[in-house]
Amino acid sequence: MNRREFLQCAAILVSGVGASQLGFSLSEEQKVFLANAPDFNTGAVDYFSAAQREIVAALAETIIPRTDTPGAIDARVPVFLELMVAHWLNDGEKAIFNAGLQDIESRIPLEYGKPFHQLGAREQLQILEALEDAAADSPWYDFGNVQREYISDAPFICQLKELTIWGFFTSKEGGSQVLRYDPMPMFFDGNIPLAPDDSSWTAFNVM
Amino acid sequence: MIEAKQYDFDAIVVGSGISGGWAAKELTEKGLKVLVLERGKPLEAGSGYLGEHAPSWKLPFQGKLPRQLYQEEYPVQSKVVFAFSEANRQFWNNDKQNPYAMDEGKPFLWARADVVGGRSLIWGRQTYRWSEQDFKANATDGHGIPWPVGYEDIAPWYSYVEKFVGINGKKEGLPQLPDSEFQKPMPWFALEETIHARLQEKAPDVTLTNGRCAILTEDLPGRKACHYCGPCERGCSTGSYFSSQSSTLPAARATGNLTLRANAVVERLEYDSATGKIARVHVIDTITNERLAFSAKIFFLCASTVGSTQILMNSASESFPYGLANRSGVLGRYMMDHTLGLCGVGIFLDNMDSYYHGNRPTGLYIPRFRNVGGQDEDADFVRGYGYQTATLRMDWQSGFNAKGFGATLKDSLRKPGPWIFALAGFTECLPRESNRMYLSKDKVDRFGIPQVVFDFEWSENEVNLRRDATKHADRLLKAAGAVFILGGDNKMSLPGEGIHEMGTARMGADPRESVLNAHNQAHDVPNLFITDGSFMTSASCVNPSLTYMAFTARACDYAVKQIAQGVL
Repeated sequence: MNRREFLQCAAILVSGVGASQLGFSLSEEQKVFLANAPDFNTGAVDYFSAAQREIVAALAETIIPRTDTPGAIDARVPVFLELMVAHWLNDGEKAIFNAGLQDIESRIPLEYGKPFHQLGAREQLQILEALEDAAADSPWYDFGNVQREYISDAPFICQLKELTIWGFFTSKEGGSQVLRYDPMPMFFDGNIPLAPDDSSWTAFNVM
Repeated sequence: MIEAKQYDFDAIVVGSGISGGWAAKELTEKGLKVLVLERGKPLEAGSGYLGEHAPSWKLPFQGKLPRQLYQEEYPVQSKVVFAFSEANRQFWNNDKQNPYAMDEGKPFLWARADVVGGRSLIWGRQTYRWSEQDFKANATDGHGIPWPVGYEDIAPWYSYVEKFVGINGKKEGLPQLPDSEFQKPMPWFALEETIHARLQEKAPDVTLTNGRCAILTEDLPGRKACHYCGPCERGCSTGSYFSSQSSTLPAARATGNLTLRANAVVERLEYDSATGKIARVHVIDTITNERLAFSAKIFFLCASTVGSTQILMNSASESFPYGLANRSGVLGRYMMDHTLGLCGVGIFLDNMDSYYHGNRPTGLYIPRFRNVGGQDEDADFVRGYGYQTATLRMDWQSGFNAKGFGATLKDSLRKPGPWIFALAGFTECLPRESNRMYLSKDKVDRFGIPQVVFDFEWSENEVNLRRDATKHADRLLKAAGAVFILGGDNKMSLPGEGIHEMGTARMGADPRESVLNAHNQAHDVPNLFITDGSFMTSASCVNPSLTYMAFTARACDYAVKQIAQGVL
């Protein structure tokens, strides 16, 4: 079976789902064939204020900007962030995130005369670098401290970076236009050339 | 005709996982009318694999696990199982709905599936034969009781099931790990070839070979060779890995002799003291709560070690006050599991300009090299261990906590980092009377069935094995050329975490100290066969499922011959 045939099979399976006894006792959210579901970051959410939304978008884009490939805003990372803060962070994490966001919202116009999202790229970067310097002692930065769920008391800048990077590389744009995506490799070869500018494969299992 | 009216079915199989699927296939193919009872939900092969081939951007939270839900409803499954996620949650037991009596001071993690196909859908797919030394281990060092079966008895049955299962691997001719009937092996990473050459020179006492696994590299009837998408545990609609859903249940269905009933919890087996046999199985429908009973000539318990033992214990009667088929008193005792865990993680800068195509769904394997053929002089333990290995290329997931921002950060995160080659030890566990499960006196489940309680601790031998495995992992990673080694910490996995629980209804020659005879038949109840992990008299250090399959096929052959001879 080649790749095209396989995808045809998959399409048949998907179209047959509605007619089968599937999901007889599954919960509602499990009745979806996930490969057919809408992208997570297209979900509706109304957690941030309009002003905060502009700041969050500018923060995410400063961390992962558009270059010759899509950036955070292209990959709907701001929506991902709002969904995660609203529905995934626990109360303590939410408090840290909200306080950090409110700090930028209120402090930056006083210091720079303009809100964060209206500043130039260099000033935006300076602001984030200052936050990172202030948080430099956090264990979040420890080498190899990545095999874990989430560090609940990590400073705002760390939470922001973690969720932004996650939201970007697990998005469709990040996962298939910045990383390389091949859902149906059909064979395994453990020794193919890697050129210096080649990207990683997108992860099939994220932790 | 009288015979036909006497029983609802010729045989009843409890459980539809690895063992139950094999029992269903073998018994139906031999012409028996078989009822398979599965406590879990119905699931269709293919269309029931809801998370298959879903990219991260389709998953809830783009793959971040919903922590609160898991803490509240899946506290055990989400902890014990690497493969538990939103992409396959529908396969698993809801711990809140179907609890067991957890002793927080002495935790035992019980991984459970809750669908037709059972844990065969989500197993690790590693398949290794036991060796002659494994079957002789108890007799040699005096732990546990001797096996009533030898390698020569089971070898033809290994071959029989292997040809149907489809196992890829490489012949090595090792006495401690006999070769299976192999399909062509999966290729290696360049780094693995590099490491192999170095180990041959600097650590010639070990063999680095393919992980032998039940994933096709060549088509079999109705099943396709692996397409290397990666996460097998989400289900495989091409049937490339062996599960009862992809393989044995379709074969059983094809005979026309199979009836499968899902949502059917077995409450107990009813013993008839007049005939000395089991007469009926009593079942509760999990949706309607209706109570049903079915009769049959023979009964196969394949409900997983803990599940089957729970049924026997809950089937106590006047004839068997301590649990059905438990005149010996060993039912529930001599429980074993494998300790497992990372023993060392090596970072490598070799083969940096080499990459890969496809996601190989298995690592390599280092078979047992300690106490092989006899006791090593420097070993403060009996038995041994093997390593399963994992080869990974670091990516953004291993470096997302780096400092920096912007195009530079984006560019460094998108590119592959160094290689990782990790060794995970799987160590043998001794059979000990004090490691056991029993029924709670006061806690029942939603059907009124007493909950299971575990009382299990590792012994000094397991601790010493684990320490040795960590020590040698460091030696091997150095010999392999790692530039940096994150050492293992000798930490023992929690009991149950190996998901190889076994031994609670062990087989033996003497009915006074075992539940089953050499054919998985209960000494005390001739029409009862148990072929899941409960029959295991010792644990070896290799993954056990292949052995369950071989013994199941052999027990089916024996049972049907007994029926033909009029004995059963």
